[in-house]
Amino acid sequence: MKLSKKRVRHTKGMDITPMIDIVFLLLIFFITVSQVSETNREKLELPQLKGAKDQKKTSLVVNINKAGEIVVAGNQLQLADVAFLVGKELENNGGDPGLVTVVVRIDQKATCQVPNALVKQLASQGISKVRLAVQVPN
Amino acid sequence: MKLSSHKRAHNRQITLEMTSMIDVVFLLLIFFIVTASFTKTERDLDAVTKVNEKSSSAAETDLEPAVVLLAEVDGSWVYQIGSNNMSTFAELQEVLDKFPNKADGAFVRAPDAAPYGMAASAIQACKNSDFPGVSYVPLTP
Repeated sequence: MKLSKKRVRHTKGMDITPMIDIVFLLLIFFITVSQVSETNREKLELPQLKGAKDQKKTSLVVNINKAGEIVVAGNQLQLADVAFLVGKELENNGGDPGLVTVVVRIDQKATCQVPNALVKQLASQGISKVRLAVQVPN
Repeated sequence: MKLSSHKRAHNRQITLEMTSMIDVVFLLLIFFIVTASFTKTERDLDAVTKVNEKSSSAAETDLEPAVVLLAEVDGSWVYQIGSNNMSTFAELQEVLDKFPNKADGAFVRAPDAAPYGMAASAIQACKNSDFPGVSYVPLTP
C-alpha cells in the first residue's frame, strides 16, 4: 500500500506577471502624457490667468519672449517674416482671415511694444481676432 | 520496439522567452520617464484688435463704454478707468463688475511701454465681468 503523498513539483522561478503589468501600465502612461515634439511652444512665463476659451487647433503660434524677440517654430523672426507666414496661411485658407487662427504667446514680463506692432500687422492683413495664450494657475 | 517519441513530446513544456521583451520595455520606460515634460495647461484670451481705436458698431446706450487704459503714474503702472487709478487686478475687477454700461463692450488701451502682463490681466478682468466683446487697442506714439 502506498501511503506517501504525491509530491507537488515546484518549479523554480519568479512570477513576473504583475511586474510586467505594472511596467506596461507605466509605459502606456508615459507614452500618452509625454509630448514628443512641441517645437512651436517656447518656454515662456505666460500670464497666470484663467483665460476665456480652451485652446483649439491653431494655424500659427507666435512666441514673444521677455526681450521682445519673435520666435516661430524655434526660429527667431522679424515682423516682416511673420507677415509672410500669415500671408501663406491666408493663401492656404482661400484668403479668408476668419479661417486663420493665430495664437500669440507672450511672456508676461515683456512690454507691449512688440505685441502692439504684431497686432497692427495682423490687423493690416485682415486678422482682427487674436488669441492670447495664458497659463492656468494651479 | 517503440519508435515513436509521442510520449516525450507530450510532456514537453512550451515556455515563452520574455527576457528580451522585458529589456526593450524597460528601455522604453526609462526613455519616456527621462524625456517626459509635463506642460502646464494653457488657455486662450480672445480679443478683437482695434487699430483705429473707434468702435465700428454704433453705441447701444448713451453711457460711455468701459475703457481701461494702462498708464504710468509716479513711476508705476496702473489701470485707469476715467479718473480712477487702480493698481491691482482685484480693484480693477471690482470696478468693472459694477460698471453700468456693459452692452458696448470694453476697450483695453495699452501703450508700447506698458507691461504685457497688465494688459492681459485687464482683458481677463473684462472677460470675467461678462462684457460681450473685449477690444485691445495698441497705443503707439
